[in-house]
Amino acid sequence: MSQQAPHPQPAADFGEDVPRLLNRLQVAAVALCVLFGVLAALFQVLSWQANGRAADNTDQVVRVQEIQTSLLRADAIATTAFLVGGLEPPEARAAYDAAVDDVLRLITDAADAQPADRRVLADLNVEVRSYTTGVAQARDYNRQNLVIGIAYLNSAGDALREDALPIVQALVDANSDRALDEMDGQSPILLLLVGVLAVGGLVLVNREISRRFHRRINVGVVGAAAGIGLLTLVIAVYAGTKSGSNADTRDGAYDTAVSEASARTAANDAKAQESQGLINRGSGAQYEELFAVAAQTVEENASPATLRLWRDYVVEHQEVRDLDDRGSWDDAVALATSSDAGDPTAALDAVDAAAEQVVTDAAAEAADSFGSGGVVALALAVLTLLGGLVAAAAATWGINQRRREYS
Amino acid sequence: MKRPSPSGRLARRRTWTGPVVALLLVLAACGYDETTVPSPDPATVEAGGDDGPSCTNDGSQVRSYAPEGDVLGGDAVARIRKRGRLVAGVAADTFLLGSRDPSDGQIKGFDIDMATAIADRIFAPATGKLELRVITAAERIPLLEDGTIDIVARNMTVNCDRWQQIAFSAIYYDAGQKVLVGRDSGIEDIAGLADKRICAPGGTTSIQNIQTIQPEAIPVTAGDNSACMVLFQNGEADGVSTDDTVLAGLAAQDPYAVVLDTDFLTAEPYGIGVNADDVDLVQLINVVLEEMRADGRWQDSYDRWLRPSLQVPGKQPRPQYGR
Repeated sequence: MSQQAPHPQPAADFGEDVPRLLNRLQVAAVALCVLFGVLAALFQVLSWQANGRAADNTDQVVRVQEIQTSLLRADAIATTAFLVGGLEPPEARAAYDAAVDDVLRLITDAADAQPADRRVLADLNVEVRSYTTGVAQARDYNRQNLVIGIAYLNSAGDALREDALPIVQALVDANSDRALDEMDGQSPILLLLVGVLAVGGLVLVNREISRRFHRRINVGVVGAAAGIGLLTLVIAVYAGTKSGSNADTRDGAYDTAVSEASARTAANDAKAQESQGLINRGSGAQYEELFAVAAQTVEENASPATLRLWRDYVVEHQEVRDLDDRGSWDDAVALATSSDAGDPTAALDAVDAAAEQVVTDAAAEAADSFGSGGVVALALAVLTLLGGLVAAAAATWGINQRRREYS
Repeated sequence: MKRPSPSGRLARRRTWTGPVVALLLVLAACGYDETTVPSPDPATVEAGGDDGPSCTNDGSQVRSYAPEGDVLGGDAVARIRKRGRLVAGVAADTFLLGSRDPSDGQIKGFDIDMATAIADRIFAPATGKLELRVITAAERIPLLEDGTIDIVARNMTVNCDRWQQIAFSAIYYDAGQKVLVGRDSGIEDIAGLADKRICAPGGTTSIQNIQTIQPEAIPVTAGDNSACMVLFQNGEADGVSTDDTVLAGLAAQDPYAVVLDTDFLTAEPYGIGVNADDVDLVQLINVVLEEMRADGRWQDSYDRWLRPSLQVPGKQPRPQYGR
């Protein structure tokens, strides 16, 4: 369909410099199209990058939570091993060493993954070394049957909670904030705004031309506006969809990973408190209060499957407390340190293993979700840039038509 | 005047959009703010003890209730017998007085022998009928007052302030505050503590005593005596000051530590703590202490636990009654 008439008639205002006006309108139209292409493509690239960073930050959140869990797991194992006596069970020693190895490896991984965390991770490394030194001293004294060993264990545990864990919590908080910020990195409204402004600008250009040439529509300019409008619709819908997907992932897999990791950390803390309560035989009340705090965290954050296992453990834990509170300390220790299936240690191990699996799966799902669609996002960005340039060319062509008609 | 062609303008516009895009991309790629750890709330400064005594230790504080009548017939003893066990608050980290033996997990020591003797007298024998509850120094009086424990056998100094809250048995050991230092530290007397970091548990009178006797000493506090010893062994304190019995236990675990051979900085007479209402239980304990003197159990316990480290023959204090 063509709107061109065989003999176009310029506007009646003969005092106006129409060629100059056409030049200005052409520059404006081209600028609008190019700016749209560049800005919209840029916003899309930024959003794509934000999603990538959301995935990376999710991994980092889980990583530092794993550090938190492993530290408390190490402490729970070390504390429980003290109950057994001077001769630490080899399997407890191996489990403690494995937990500490995990911590050290994760600190290195975390430092590699996020430069902004490096200084704090270096501080954490110092605290972890101080903790493991304290536990090693405690173990050495304990093996020599010197009671000062328990003071070293207590000092190490206190320092862990007062110095090391606040650092880990700061890392969890900082990376959670980063992840959540990046999840909001999609900008469908901004894309719509840029698109609407570009289309609006082109409509104005078209109006200015039509007032002077008695043609309501300049095919090139209107074609450019229509193309940009269509492109805007596509990219805004995609960005909106991705934004919705991010929100779903944030409230779904991401939340599951973070919550489950919190539950896992608290479960290990609870076991350490159980052992502390027994070491301070008969006076476990203050540790039971700390156990209750940790238990509440588990109740509020664990997945249903983990929660069932946790409640199994709580039943066992209550039996330990009842024995101690009734004065049967030896029986309470025997139960708490037993490695038999169904006893507290095994029950807690089951909680830990289940939670670890949930965290791993959910974190992978969240990171995959944030990182997905990269090819589409980049292709759309390129398409947008090209679309802007094509629109600019169309507008140029359309206005050139009028210039030819005028001359 | 020559106007720039539209294509020329477009070309110019393209020349600046490139750098703008590059700049925005660089900005987008910038890192995050460095992670910081929030500062902890300012720690409460340890006062270093109570608000000060509200009474004067004029010597009457060591007087207890004289045994009389049927010592097993009182209400408190009947309550304990009905329950089927005596609940004693003890320490588990004070080597020689009350500490957990890492080899078998059992709590042993001079104070534990006292508690065992009391339980033996009530239940004859006490096997399985003595419940040891590990408590902190700060928990001693509150747990006696609320009835959680029946007695405290945890190197507890008898003084008039405490008598206003609880009751005590007759004195079963005369301890006193001394100072532990490094064997080759060059510190040989109290004067040598000037400018030295001396640790005592926060919230105790020990740290105040040191400051009174040697004002130039630098006070350091820790959670308990063992935590002070950890600071000492890690080079964060030059000495530890507390009861000589406790220091003997700490020195026994460290060949590089020695207790300064000085007079007692303060007298710390130990008594068994009891709820103020359980006068009959106090009377029974006083009977037990005299029986231990008579049959040599007190001396045996002293010789087993304290004499090897204190290296002086111990003597059970004579009881003083009249309360």
